[in-house]
Amino acid sequence: MSLLEVTDLTMAFGGLVANDRISFTLHEGEVLGVIGPNGAGKTTLFACIAGFLKPTRGQVRFAGEDITGMRPDRICRRGLVRTFQIVRALPDLTVLQNVMVGAFLRTHAMREARQIAEEVLAFTGLEARAHTPGKNLTIADKKRLEVARALATQPRLLMLDEVMSGLNAQERQQAVTLVRAIQRRGISILLIEHIMDVLLPLSNRVLVLNYGKKIAEGSPDSITRNPEVIAAYLGSSYASPS
Amino acid sequence: MDATIVQAVLSGALIGMIYALIAAGLSLIFGLMEIVNFAHGEFLMLAMFSSFWMWELWRLDPLASLPITAALMFGVGVLTNRLLVMRVLNAPALAQIFATFGLGLFLRASAQYLWTADFRAIQDPFLSRVAGGRIALGRDVFIGVPQLVAAVIAAVAFALLGLLIRRTRLGLALQAVAEDRSTAALMGIPAGRMFDLGWGIAAACVGIAGAVLASFYYIYPSVGVTFALLAYIIVALGGFGSITGALIAGIMVGLVEIVAPLLLGIPPAYKYALVFTLYLLVVLVRPQGLFGRY
Amino acid sequence: MLDRRLPAPLTLTALAVVIGILVTTPLLINNNVFHHTLILIGIYAALAQAWNILGGFAGQISLGNAIFFGIGAYTSSLLLVRAQLSPWLGALAGMALAMVLALLIGYPVFRLAGHYLAIATIALAEIALVVFQNLEFVGGAAGISLPITRDMQGRPTDSWWMLQFNSSKLPYVYLALGVLGVVQVVATLLDRSWIGFFLRAIKNDQTAAAAIGVPVARYKLIALLISSACTALIGTFYAQYLLFVDPETVFGLSLSVLIALVAILGGAGSLWGPFLGAVVLIPLAEATRSQLGGRGTAFDLVIYGLLIMVIAVFQPAGLTGLPERFRPRQRTSVAPAAPADTQMEESLRS
Repeated sequence: MSLLEVTDLTMAFGGLVANDRISFTLHEGEVLGVIGPNGAGKTTLFACIAGFLKPTRGQVRFAGEDITGMRPDRICRRGLVRTFQIVRALPDLTVLQNVMVGAFLRTHAMREARQIAEEVLAFTGLEARAHTPGKNLTIADKKRLEVARALATQPRLLMLDEVMSGLNAQERQQAVTLVRAIQRRGISILLIEHIMDVLLPLSNRVLVLNYGKKIAEGSPDSITRNPEVIAAYLGSSYASPS
Repeated sequence: MDATIVQAVLSGALIGMIYALIAAGLSLIFGLMEIVNFAHGEFLMLAMFSSFWMWELWRLDPLASLPITAALMFGVGVLTNRLLVMRVLNAPALAQIFATFGLGLFLRASAQYLWTADFRAIQDPFLSRVAGGRIALGRDVFIGVPQLVAAVIAAVAFALLGLLIRRTRLGLALQAVAEDRSTAALMGIPAGRMFDLGWGIAAACVGIAGAVLASFYYIYPSVGVTFALLAYIIVALGGFGSITGALIAGIMVGLVEIVAPLLLGIPPAYKYALVFTLYLLVVLVRPQGLFGRY
Repeated sequence: MLDRRLPAPLTLTALAVVIGILVTTPLLINNNVFHHTLILIGIYAALAQAWNILGGFAGQISLGNAIFFGIGAYTSSLLLVRAQLSPWLGALAGMALAMVLALLIGYPVFRLAGHYLAIATIALAEIALVVFQNLEFVGGAAGISLPITRDMQGRPTDSWWMLQFNSSKLPYVYLALGVLGVVQVVATLLDRSWIGFFLRAIKNDQTAAAAIGVPVARYKLIALLISSACTALIGTFYAQYLLFVDPETVFGLSLSVLIALVAILGGAGSLWGPFLGAVVLIPLAEATRSQLGGRGTAFDLVIYGLLIMVIAVFQPAGLTGLPERFRPRQRTSVAPAAPADTQMEESLRS
């Protein structure tokens, strides 16, 4: 069953078209990877889906409902949540409190929110940092906090924006494990990453963007063999040596 | 058109020009370091007292002492930056608001302590004697010479400010610092010196405004309060950091203040309520002001 | 909510001591100046706390809170003068009016951020000031004097129903402390509920808050509604204490600024900051006024202005931030043994 359906989504900033008639479908339980070079329009696509930007044209449907142009908090309530590439840990709140803010979406009871938050912290491996203020975290922990906070809202679809970038090899491996564990919980994932090596093994299917357009979609295998994708990533000289 | 309306439009535009000059300094400081100078009205008051005392002590006409007042105020601006503003540059926004607010209160109270709360005026300044103090533009339409000359001087000062910022190396350096402090520093532009300069210029602008106002306005310790309030409105209306915005919004406020009560048949006592309402209406449509970038 | 918190029994003991002192000293020290100062402390601490809910918790800086104070003061006073209505009912009417106004201005004004918001709130209060100065119906610039409650013989008398006490300031002291208590409890309950979490999330990062489901506009409005209702209530009490209201005093920018200043001096965003700010600033202001402010020389204001600058430069985080300065830097990575939130639940239950 399709959970997220994006149809002809176009986002133009004046003359600059960041997303050009992008259409795709994400199925329930799936990890859909989105790759593309810097400036391909990945983050803009996320912002449009999650309600932070109002698309110029096109439609976003989530669980059968049209959510195009809906406010972010309403979209979040429906079970679609995003993280930010540039991490936005709430600096004055502790890790636990950060996550509790997310948990309060589903309950207004302090005790229950705390339970949800503690459970999420254990799941994401952040218990030891529970009482550290957001501003004092390392980058890796901040990225993990982004994920934890989003999970606390109990989403059906989690959109992760470059949660692996800026991490060292070990931290990256932990992040990969975390994404797999989230998928096993039955949460669908839309994953942005510009490092192919990280994204491909995680994704069931992959979407490739370049200059705001969708240039390919398919299994990780088929993507790596697609000449247009190779050209976009490695420069045209590799695809058609001249 | 009705002579009273013509008269009102003229008066409004003239006073608006002075508002614009006061607001320009405020806007310059904000554009440079994102700080609102809540002591701006007191800078104006100091400038007016500077004109007053030079007249009182040495019979120097406000017009003649204008360069001295502007220079003095430049110094006040630089000192304010050095002694106060630089110390709260990295403090929370609330602390910044209160630093300059405290300075304003300090200056106003000091003026009252030193010179009493009395209203003073410069008797018979040069401008009020030129052409009998007013020029007839038609039957029942008059324009005060002090007001006219004040507006002209304000316009010239404004034009010079624009040229300085847009056309000189110094202006480019100021713009660079306003755009991105650390990159400008990498290019060898000392941000601290530019901040000094920005505060100096801003205070000199308000100094010129005070000097021209001194020819036809009462001078007292809290004279700056209303002017400053209008200047905040003008800067927010025009868009924080935009000098052009300050010019357009300044004249708009001057016009609304004097013409709108006439047109709407509202007692002039409500003029400031109209100005504030105009501001609210504009920012509801354009939260960043008319020419603001953010 | 923040982790800077004493263990629960200590907090409760401290609270009991503070309340004990506040309740007993007015009886022991029966002195008009002392009572007057206590009343002012109560009023400004409560006003600052009401501001704190909006400015400190939610980070929405208002420099126009006087508008709600004025509405509270004028509503009950007008109802009293024109309809002989008890100020208790007048207070309710004033709170309701303030909340209606908050609803009307809230949505449009909260589209603005930072300095634009602060200046818009100044503009709103100034509009109210000009209107009240010029409307004869509400007494114009001269204001309204409230009638003295008298007994059968025409002698001034005390009346709880008419909220007026002519024989002693003591009832006003307890009323002021009572109002402060109410606002303090409201703020505490907010701080320890999801609303407090949401408001702080908004203050920290509006976009991040929205992403995890916080309805930003609605919660800013909730903060404003609570802040406005509390402020209006204090306005009524203030009018009843002075038996006089005038536009400049209740709507003026200087009041709006003072309200914010008390909270910031104490520590914006902290639960006890506003109280601390009032306890320090109000007696200081009163003392300098009586010692130095004679004959309108404004010397007290010279000191006051200097003081504000000194605070802004040397202690921008407010008085509640002071212990942080002297505390060894080690807590950042070590998790405290007893998590703060269990304590808050415990103290809520007890």
